[in-house]
Amino acid sequence: VKAFAVWLSTTAPSVFIQSHSAWTVPILQSIHIVCIGVVVGSILMINLRILGWAGTERTLRQTHSRFSPWQTWGVVALLVTGLLMLVGEPVREIVSFSFWAKMVLILLGSGAAVVFERALDRHEAEWDARGGAASGLQPLALATLAIWVLVMVMGRLIAYDHLWGPLSPAAHH
Amino acid sequence: MDLTAVFKALEASSPAAAIRASLYLFPAIETIHVIALALVFGTILIVDLRLLGLASTARRVHKVEADLLKWTWGGFVVAAVTGLLMFITNAQVYADSLPFRLKLVALALAGLNMAVFEFTTHRSIKHWDDQPRAPTAGRVAAILSILLWTAVIFTGRWIGFTTSHATVELKPPAGVDFDDFLQ
Repeated sequence: VKAFAVWLSTTAPSVFIQSHSAWTVPILQSIHIVCIGVVVGSILMINLRILGWAGTERTLRQTHSRFSPWQTWGVVALLVTGLLMLVGEPVREIVSFSFWAKMVLILLGSGAAVVFERALDRHEAEWDARGGAASGLQPLALATLAIWVLVMVMGRLIAYDHLWGPLSPAAHH
Repeated sequence: MDLTAVFKALEASSPAAAIRASLYLFPAIETIHVIALALVFGTILIVDLRLLGLASTARRVHKVEADLLKWTWGGFVVAAVTGLLMFITNAQVYADSLPFRLKLVALALAGLNMAVFEFTTHRSIKHWDDQPRAPTAGRVAAILSILLWTAVIFTGRWIGFTTSHATVELKPPAGVDFDDFLQ
């Protein structure tokens, strides 16, 4: 994996980002953070609606239709900016525990979103009739919020990977 | 007014010394700061898009605000406290930094924009609460809000690239030579 990271760092796009890193890296990271805001807002509203803590005068389907495209496209923009950041600083990202933990958490968070959409298709009528919280889905909503908070934690900690001590691949070198 | 003495006193304070001495505190505070600012920006954006008539238009404006603004303010307080804690670790360097100063200007303008909106356009919310779009002044405030908070994020991230080496001396764990990874 480290050999791949080292090879990636010699490719033309990587060399470009590295040689202009004074502006490329901060700008990519800033766009990444703006997109994080978009995704956090969307995920918060969907999951607060599931919990019955916000937007209860709207149905789950209405809330989901309003926010899930922003969540999806926000995540796509995060993947694009994240990939460019990875190309720009491959060794720093790939040779880190935080990065891989973050990737696993993103998969878990995306899986939770799919589970929710399936459940919505099955139980929509029942939830609409009752209003308020979506029964049975509250633990999933809380888990989803926790997962995305941890994604942000791991993202920030890529810069501080040595804090993981022996868990950091850098320590095994 | 010369603030140098104030900045020196802040740097010498015991919380500042504790954060500087710890390997974990600064990254932890910075991480909480990022989560809090994502909450602030994400929730403000939803309200601004509603004012612009671009999203949530089926809901009344005050309903959208009632759902979101408590999260915005909660996030803002956390971001302000964590931001202050980072600032006091190295107050003189931050105070001298251009991106830090620009960020304070953007923050002040964002606050002013919000206050003006609150005390003018928002006073007549009853007349446009159920309209798909806010009046022109409200839409201008929404665009300014999006631009200014984006500027806060950009200048804020930039601070870390101009001062990071001066803030916390990060010690690699014993036996690890990080230069090996940097090619």
